[in-house]
Amino acid sequence: MQKLIKTLAAGCLFSILANHATAAEKIVFGIALEPYPPFSEKAGNGAWSGFEPDLIQALCQRLQAQCPLKEVSWDGLIPALQSSQIDVILNSMSITEERQKVIDFTAPYYQTPAMWVADKSMELVTTPEGLKGKLIGVQGSTSNATYLKVYYSKGSTLRYYNTQDDMTADLQSGRIDVMLADALTIEPLIKSAAGSGLADKGLAPKDPLFGSGIGAAVRKGDDNLRQQLNTALAAMKADGTYDKIRSRYFSVDISAQ
Amino acid sequence: MISLSELTQLFVANGWLNALLQGSVVTLQISAGAFVLGLGIGLLVALIKLKGPRWMVRLANFYTTLYRAVPELLLILLLYYAGTDLLNMAMAAMGRDSVTVNGFIAAVLVLGIVQGAYSAEIIRGAIQAIPVGQLEAARAFGIERWLLVRRVLLPTMLPFAMAGLSNLWLVLVKDSALISIVGYSELLSVGKQAAGSTKHYLVFYLAVAAMYFIITLVSNGAFRVLERRINRWMPQH
Repeated sequence: MQKLIKTLAAGCLFSILANHATAAEKIVFGIALEPYPPFSEKAGNGAWSGFEPDLIQALCQRLQAQCPLKEVSWDGLIPALQSSQIDVILNSMSITEERQKVIDFTAPYYQTPAMWVADKSMELVTTPEGLKGKLIGVQGSTSNATYLKVYYSKGSTLRYYNTQDDMTADLQSGRIDVMLADALTIEPLIKSAAGSGLADKGLAPKDPLFGSGIGAAVRKGDDNLRQQLNTALAAMKADGTYDKIRSRYFSVDISAQ
Repeated sequence: MISLSELTQLFVANGWLNALLQGSVVTLQISAGAFVLGLGIGLLVALIKLKGPRWMVRLANFYTTLYRAVPELLLILLLYYAGTDLLNMAMAAMGRDSVTVNGFIAAVLVLGIVQGAYSAEIIRGAIQAIPVGQLEAARAFGIERWLLVRRVLLPTMLPFAMAGLSNLWLVLVKDSALISIVGYSELLSVGKQAAGSTKHYLVFYLAVAAMYFIITLVSNGAFRVLERRINRWMPQH
């Protein structure tokens, strides 16, 4: 019995202390255990795949680091980062002012682009002049709505919707001429049978009004790691690695401005 | 509706059945660890409450009140995150490297401490339900203190405590799901991942529910056997 207790105690101690040996070249990436396909998803055998795990792998090759993925629930990611159980959150976390008070972000590594969608037969020039006099649909209280309000509200009429589904229905029945929608959610619809009458009329240009995008988060003041990640991400964009990974999962360009 | 071949594809070929079974094993491990720890704490606290010095009784009362008042989820977050922070601050003060706390140990510790508070009350009640004459008789025979606890008090207390304790076990099995917040892959979190990755939410949530149900059924059977054994000397009505 005593022996058992000793072994157990030693085991506990070991598991507590085991992690500090290779701290220098080891970067622990936190990932929400709730999958978010196609950004992150998990197979039955426990392996992660998706845009973000692939990106992490490529990043680590470049940094020549060892990067274990640690699953934490979404709510627990920031506390886990602050208590040093993970070093980076690279998990579709939007850069917001509130979060920047407690953690630091790298430059955005993706941004959901906004896509113009209209009836297939419609010929459109999606500049403010081209859409003069048209009825444009957009989801209210989104960055897309802010963007339209600033650039398009003079010449065109804006219609605000609560849900993407309502807006799509109105577009299909001709109550609006064109809509500005979240590219990643609307693209699958255009490709499906339900959205066969609709067509992609191009992405809206990148603009600060669309928000700061999605960045990797590090502990406040961990500037060394933040710089490393920024440099590696920039290099991956420059040499095409980023695009290669991105095109596995998305046909639209989701890189940030 | 989902077809049978799709189901076998999901559960067998994609390996999710295996993952769920592993998750159930983890759930049982966490629950068993916490239950044993909780029983130990509970027995100690119950004895203190009944026989201890005044200041320890106060402390014990404070413990059972506090841990039954604060939600387990909050305690897990506190111990796992704030606790690690404190531990690391202490390590830094001593000039050591930072450490990480194992999720499993954190789970067993937190749930065990909470279980201890509940089981202390159950055990205390059960001890008080022992007819005083029995303990007096034992003392009259000159049985010394710890032998009395081990050979008289515990066995005569158990029949009164069993119902409450088996209930506590079932609650604990479900409470262990809370540990998914710290990313430990127990049954529910594996189920969530399966659902989120495959988009077959209903299928996997039902499968997880079925597994918890099976665990409950099996534990009920086990407790029935145990109860029959423990109650064997009780007067039959």
